[in-house]
Amino acid sequence: MEEADLVPKQQYPEVEKQQIFNEEFMPHIYSMYNFAYRLTLDQDDSKDLLQDTYLKAYRFIDSFQKGTNAKAWLFRILKNSFINDYRKKSKEPSKVDYQDVETYYNSEDVDRQITPDLRVEALRDMIGDEISNALNSLDVDFRTVIILCDLEGFKYDEMAKILDIPIGTVRSRLHRARNLLKEKLSTYAQQMGYKNA
Amino acid sequence: MSIPDKSKMKQDCPNQRDCLEKLHLILDDETTAEEKEHFLKHHLEECLPCYRNYHLEVEIRQLLKSKCNSTAPQDLIDTIKTRVSQNLVP
Repeated sequence: MEEADLVPKQQYPEVEKQQIFNEEFMPHIYSMYNFAYRLTLDQDDSKDLLQDTYLKAYRFIDSFQKGTNAKAWLFRILKNSFINDYRKKSKEPSKVDYQDVETYYNSEDVDRQITPDLRVEALRDMIGDEISNALNSLDVDFRTVIILCDLEGFKYDEMAKILDIPIGTVRSRLHRARNLLKEKLSTYAQQMGYKNA
Repeated sequence: MSIPDKSKMKQDCPNQRDCLEKLHLILDDETTAEEKEHFLKHHLEECLPCYRNYHLEVEIRQLLKSKCNSTAPQDLIDTIKTRVSQNLVP
Protein backbone atom coordinates (compact mmCIF):
# COMPACT_ATOMS: atom_id res chain seq x y z
CA MET A 1 0.00 0.00 0.00
CA GLU A 2 1.30 3.42 -0.83
CA GLU A 3 2.18 5.60 2.12
CA ALA A 4 -0.33 8.26 1.12
CA ASP A 5 -3.19 5.78 1.36
CA LEU A 6 -2.34 4.81 4.88
CA VAL A 7 -2.18 8.21 6.49
CA PRO A 8 -4.74 8.19 9.31
CA LYS A 9 -7.66 10.43 8.45
CA GLN A 10 -9.38 10.04 11.82
CA GLN A 11 -9.22 7.97 14.95
CA TYR A 12 -12.11 5.59 15.37
CA PRO A 13 -12.93 4.27 18.85
CA GLU A 14 -12.31 0.52 19.19
CA VAL A 15 -16.02 -0.36 18.99
CA GLU A 16 -16.39 1.58 15.77
CA LYS A 17 -13.32 -0.10 14.27
CA GLN A 18 -14.86 -3.49 14.87
CA GLN A 19 -18.13 -2.31 13.43
CA ILE A 20 -16.54 -0.96 10.23
CA PHE A 21 -14.53 -4.14 9.86
CA ASN A 22 -17.55 -6.40 10.24
CA GLU A 23 -20.04 -4.33 8.30
CA GLU A 24 -17.96 -2.76 5.54
CA PHE A 25 -14.98 -5.08 5.06
CA MET A 26 -16.20 -8.59 5.79
CA PRO A 27 -18.99 -8.63 3.16
CA HIS A 28 -16.27 -8.50 0.46
CA ILE A 29 -14.28 -11.45 1.74
CA TYR A 30 -15.48 -13.90 -0.92
CA SER A 31 -14.66 -11.54 -3.76
CA MET A 32 -11.33 -10.79 -2.14
CA TYR A 33 -10.46 -14.45 -1.77
CA ASN A 34 -11.29 -15.07 -5.40
CA PHE A 35 -9.08 -12.15 -6.41
CA ALA A 36 -6.24 -13.47 -4.24
CA TYR A 37 -6.60 -16.92 -5.73
CA ARG A 38 -6.68 -15.68 -9.33
CA LEU A 39 -3.58 -13.59 -8.72
CA THR A 40 -1.45 -16.19 -6.95
CA LEU A 41 -2.96 -19.31 -8.57
CA ASP A 42 -2.02 -21.12 -5.39
CA GLN A 43 -4.38 -22.03 -2.55
CA ASP A 44 -1.91 -21.55 0.30
CA ASP A 45 -0.63 -18.26 -1.06
CA SER A 46 -4.14 -17.00 -1.61
CA LYS A 47 -5.08 -17.77 2.00
CA ASP A 48 -2.00 -15.97 3.29
CA LEU A 49 -2.58 -13.03 0.99
CA LEU A 50 -6.21 -12.72 2.06
CA GLN A 51 -5.36 -12.87 5.75
CA ASP A 52 -2.47 -10.40 5.39
CA THR A 53 -4.72 -8.00 3.52
CA TYR A 54 -7.55 -8.13 6.05
CA LEU A 55 -5.26 -7.71 9.01
CA LYS A 56 -3.52 -4.83 7.27
CA ALA A 57 -6.89 -3.24 6.52
CA TYR A 58 -7.75 -3.45 10.19
CA ARG A 59 -4.38 -2.10 11.28
CA PHE A 60 -4.76 0.91 9.02
CA ILE A 61 -8.50 1.32 9.47
CA ASP A 62 -8.05 4.96 10.58
CA SER A 63 -7.00 5.79 7.03
CA PHE A 64 -10.30 4.44 5.68
CA GLN A 65 -13.01 7.04 5.34
CA LYS A 66 -16.36 5.62 6.37
CA GLY A 67 -18.93 5.69 3.62
CA THR A 68 -16.35 5.59 0.81
CA ASN A 69 -15.84 2.58 -1.43
CA ALA A 70 -14.59 -0.11 0.96
CA LYS A 71 -14.40 -2.76 -1.73
CA ALA A 72 -12.11 -0.68 -3.95
CA TRP A 73 -9.97 0.24 -0.93
CA LEU A 74 -9.58 -3.42 0.04
CA PHE A 75 -8.83 -4.54 -3.52
CA ARG A 76 -6.13 -1.91 -3.75
CA ILE A 77 -4.46 -3.14 -0.56
CA LEU A 78 -4.63 -6.73 -1.76
CA LYS A 79 -3.19 -5.90 -5.16
CA ASN A 80 -0.32 -3.92 -3.61
CA SER A 81 0.44 -6.69 -1.12
CA PHE A 82 0.49 -9.14 -3.98
CA ILE A 83 2.97 -7.06 -5.95
CA ASN A 84 5.21 -6.37 -2.97
CA ASP A 85 5.16 -9.72 -1.21
CA TYR A 86 3.92 -12.48 -3.46
CA ARG A 87 4.64 -11.73 -7.05
CA LYS A 88 8.33 -12.52 -6.72
CA LYS A 89 7.74 -15.93 -5.25
CA SER A 90 4.74 -16.70 -7.39
CA LYS A 91 4.90 -19.93 -9.28
CA GLU A 92 4.08 -18.27 -12.53
CA PRO A 93 6.60 -19.27 -15.16
CA SER A 94 6.36 -15.90 -16.83
CA LYS A 95 9.18 -13.56 -15.95
CA VAL A 96 8.27 -11.20 -18.71
CA ASP A 97 8.83 -7.57 -18.02
CA TYR A 98 5.41 -5.99 -18.05
CA GLN A 99 6.43 -3.08 -20.22
CA ASP A 100 7.50 -5.53 -22.92
CA VAL A 101 4.18 -7.27 -22.73
CA GLU A 102 2.23 -4.05 -23.06
CA THR A 103 4.38 -2.89 -25.96
CA TYR A 104 3.89 -6.17 -27.74
CA TYR A 105 0.17 -6.22 -27.25
CA ASN A 106 -0.19 -2.64 -28.33
CA SER A 107 1.50 -3.46 -31.58
CA GLU A 108 -0.35 -4.23 -34.78
CA ASP A 109 0.26 -7.95 -34.41
CA VAL A 110 -2.46 -8.43 -31.93
CA ASP A 111 -5.14 -7.08 -34.20
CA ARG A 112 -4.51 -9.82 -36.70
CA GLN A 113 -7.26 -11.65 -34.90
CA ILE A 114 -9.40 -9.01 -33.36
CA THR A 115 -12.28 -11.42 -33.45
CA PRO A 116 -11.27 -15.04 -33.54
CA ASP A 117 -14.11 -16.87 -35.20
CA LEU A 118 -15.45 -18.18 -31.94
CA ARG A 119 -19.10 -19.17 -31.74
CA VAL A 120 -21.55 -18.83 -28.90
CA GLU A 121 -22.50 -22.50 -29.37
CA ALA A 122 -18.91 -23.53 -28.62
CA LEU A 123 -18.90 -21.44 -25.45
CA ARG A 124 -22.13 -23.03 -24.29
CA ASP A 125 -20.45 -26.41 -24.53
CA MET A 126 -17.67 -25.30 -22.23
CA ILE A 127 -19.17 -26.78 -19.11
CA GLY A 128 -15.88 -27.67 -17.44
CA ASP A 129 -12.87 -25.60 -16.43
CA GLU A 130 -12.12 -24.20 -19.87
CA ILE A 131 -12.96 -20.58 -19.09
CA SER A 132 -11.19 -20.73 -15.73
CA ASN A 133 -8.09 -22.24 -17.33
CA ALA A 134 -8.19 -19.70 -20.14
CA LEU A 135 -8.37 -16.85 -17.64
CA ASN A 136 -5.56 -18.30 -15.53
CA SER A 137 -3.35 -18.68 -18.59
CA LEU A 138 -3.29 -14.94 -19.22
CA ASP A 139 -0.46 -12.78 -17.96
CA VAL A 140 -1.35 -11.54 -14.48
CA ASP A 141 -1.92 -7.94 -15.58
CA PHE A 142 -4.40 -8.98 -18.23
CA ARG A 143 -6.05 -11.45 -15.86
CA THR A 144 -6.45 -8.72 -13.27
CA VAL A 145 -8.42 -6.30 -15.43
CA ILE A 146 -10.84 -9.02 -16.49
CA ILE A 147 -11.44 -10.03 -12.88
CA LEU A 148 -11.95 -6.47 -11.72
CA CYS A 149 -14.27 -5.55 -14.56
CA ASP A 150 -16.16 -8.67 -15.58
CA LEU A 151 -16.29 -10.53 -12.29
CA GLU A 152 -16.36 -7.72 -9.77
CA GLY A 153 -18.07 -5.01 -11.78
CA PHE A 154 -15.65 -2.18 -11.00
CA LYS A 155 -15.93 0.93 -13.15
CA TYR A 156 -12.92 2.07 -15.18
CA ASP A 157 -12.17 4.98 -12.82
CA GLU A 158 -12.20 2.64 -9.83
CA MET A 159 -9.91 0.21 -11.63
CA ALA A 160 -7.54 3.05 -12.46
CA LYS A 161 -7.27 3.86 -8.75
CA ILE A 162 -6.89 0.24 -7.68
CA LEU A 163 -4.16 -0.39 -10.22
CA ASP A 164 -2.45 3.03 -10.27
CA ILE A 165 -2.76 3.37 -14.02
CA PRO A 166 -4.52 5.94 -16.23
CA ILE A 167 -8.08 5.22 -17.38
CA GLY A 168 -6.88 5.04 -20.98
CA THR A 169 -4.57 2.20 -20.01
CA VAL A 170 -7.43 0.42 -18.24
CA ARG A 171 -9.42 0.58 -21.47
CA SER A 172 -6.67 -0.61 -23.75
CA ARG A 173 -5.52 -3.32 -21.36
CA LEU A 174 -9.06 -4.64 -21.05
CA HIS A 175 -9.45 -4.67 -24.80
CA ARG A 176 -6.22 -6.69 -25.25
CA ALA A 177 -7.07 -8.97 -22.36
CA ARG A 178 -10.44 -9.86 -23.84
CA ASN A 179 -8.96 -10.55 -27.23
CA LEU A 180 -6.35 -12.82 -25.69
CA LEU A 181 -9.02 -14.63 -23.70
CA LYS A 182 -11.03 -15.19 -26.87
CA GLU A 183 -7.98 -16.53 -28.67
CA LYS A 184 -7.48 -19.01 -25.88
CA LEU A 185 -11.15 -20.02 -25.87
CA SER A 186 -10.99 -20.35 -29.61
CA THR A 187 -8.15 -22.85 -29.25
CA TYR A 188 -10.20 -24.88 -26.77
CA ALA A 189 -13.19 -24.78 -29.11
CA GLN A 190 -11.05 -26.19 -31.91
CA GLN A 191 -9.85 -28.94 -29.60
CA MET A 192 -13.48 -29.70 -28.84
CA GLY A 193 -14.05 -30.25 -32.53
CA TYR A 194 -15.61 -26.96 -33.55
CA LYS A 195 -14.42 -26.22 -37.06
CA ASN A 196 -13.37 -22.63 -37.64
CA ALA A 197 -13.99 -22.02 -33.99
CA MET B 1 -32.99 -6.47 -29.01
CA SER B 2 -35.08 -8.20 -31.67
CA ILE B 3 -33.67 -11.05 -33.71
CA PRO B 4 -32.71 -9.60 -37.06
CA ASP B 5 -32.79 -11.41 -40.39
CA LYS B 6 -29.13 -12.35 -40.73
CA SER B 7 -29.25 -12.65 -44.52
CA LYS B 8 -30.20 -8.99 -44.81
CA MET B 9 -27.38 -7.81 -42.56
CA LYS B 10 -24.01 -6.46 -43.64
CA GLN B 11 -21.65 -9.42 -43.77
CA ASP B 12 -18.54 -7.30 -43.21
CA CYS B 13 -17.85 -4.43 -40.90
CA PRO B 14 -15.27 -1.88 -42.07
CA ASN B 15 -14.83 -0.57 -38.52
CA GLN B 16 -14.77 -3.82 -36.64
CA ARG B 17 -11.93 -2.86 -34.36
CA ASP B 18 -13.54 0.43 -33.35
CA CYS B 19 -16.90 -1.25 -33.01
CA LEU B 20 -15.47 -3.88 -30.71
CA GLU B 21 -13.99 -1.17 -28.52
CA LYS B 22 -17.35 0.58 -28.47
CA LEU B 23 -19.05 -2.70 -27.64
CA HIS B 24 -16.77 -3.19 -24.65
CA LEU B 25 -17.60 0.30 -23.41
CA ILE B 26 -21.31 -0.36 -23.81
CA LEU B 27 -21.24 -3.69 -22.00
CA ASP B 28 -19.08 -2.16 -19.27
CA ASP B 29 -21.66 0.59 -18.89
CA GLU B 30 -19.10 3.27 -19.68
CA THR B 31 -21.08 5.12 -22.36
CA THR B 32 -24.07 7.40 -22.23
CA ALA B 33 -27.53 5.89 -22.65
CA GLU B 34 -27.86 7.68 -26.02
CA GLU B 35 -24.61 6.25 -27.38
CA LYS B 36 -25.65 2.83 -26.25
CA GLU B 37 -29.06 3.01 -27.82
CA HIS B 38 -27.69 4.41 -31.04
CA PHE B 39 -25.13 1.64 -31.38
CA LEU B 40 -27.49 -1.16 -30.46
CA LYS B 41 -30.34 0.07 -32.62
CA HIS B 42 -28.57 1.58 -35.58
CA HIS B 43 -25.49 -0.52 -35.98
CA LEU B 44 -25.82 -3.86 -34.31
CA GLU B 45 -29.04 -4.89 -35.99
CA GLU B 46 -27.58 -4.24 -39.40
CA CYS B 47 -24.09 -5.61 -39.02
CA LEU B 48 -23.57 -9.35 -38.70
CA PRO B 49 -19.96 -9.39 -37.40
CA CYS B 50 -20.81 -6.89 -34.66
CA TYR B 51 -24.06 -8.64 -33.85
CA ARG B 52 -22.11 -11.88 -33.36
CA ASN B 53 -19.46 -10.13 -31.31
CA TYR B 54 -22.08 -8.70 -29.03
CA HIS B 55 -23.52 -12.10 -28.21
CA LEU B 56 -20.07 -13.60 -27.83
CA GLU B 57 -19.03 -10.92 -25.36
CA VAL B 58 -22.22 -11.36 -23.36
CA GLU B 59 -21.76 -15.14 -23.27
CA ILE B 60 -18.13 -14.87 -22.13
CA ARG B 61 -19.12 -12.55 -19.29
CA GLN B 62 -21.80 -15.00 -18.18
CA LEU B 63 -19.35 -17.87 -18.37
CA LEU B 64 -16.77 -15.98 -16.32
CA LYS B 65 -19.34 -15.15 -13.66
CA SER B 66 -20.62 -18.68 -13.41
CA LYS B 67 -17.27 -20.53 -13.56
CA CYS B 68 -14.58 -18.34 -12.08
CA ASN B 69 -15.57 -17.95 -8.48
CA SER B 70 -13.68 -19.78 -5.78
CA THR B 71 -15.09 -19.80 -2.28
CA ALA B 72 -13.04 -18.71 0.69
CA PRO B 73 -12.60 -21.50 3.24
CA GLN B 74 -14.78 -20.94 6.31
CA ASP B 75 -11.95 -21.70 8.76
CA LEU B 76 -9.90 -18.92 7.21
CA ILE B 77 -12.76 -16.46 7.56
CA ASP B 78 -13.23 -17.52 11.19
CA THR B 79 -9.53 -17.05 11.92
CA ILE B 80 -9.54 -13.54 10.49
CA LYS B 81 -12.68 -12.61 12.45
CA THR B 82 -11.29 -14.00 15.67
CA ARG B 83 -7.96 -12.24 15.35
CA VAL B 84 -9.68 -8.92 14.76
CA SER B 85 -12.33 -9.29 17.45
CA GLN B 86 -9.74 -10.28 20.03
CA ASN B 87 -7.47 -7.54 18.83
CA LEU B 88 -4.69 -9.94 17.94
CA VAL B 89 -3.61 -7.95 14.93
CA PRO B 90 0.14 -7.43 14.92
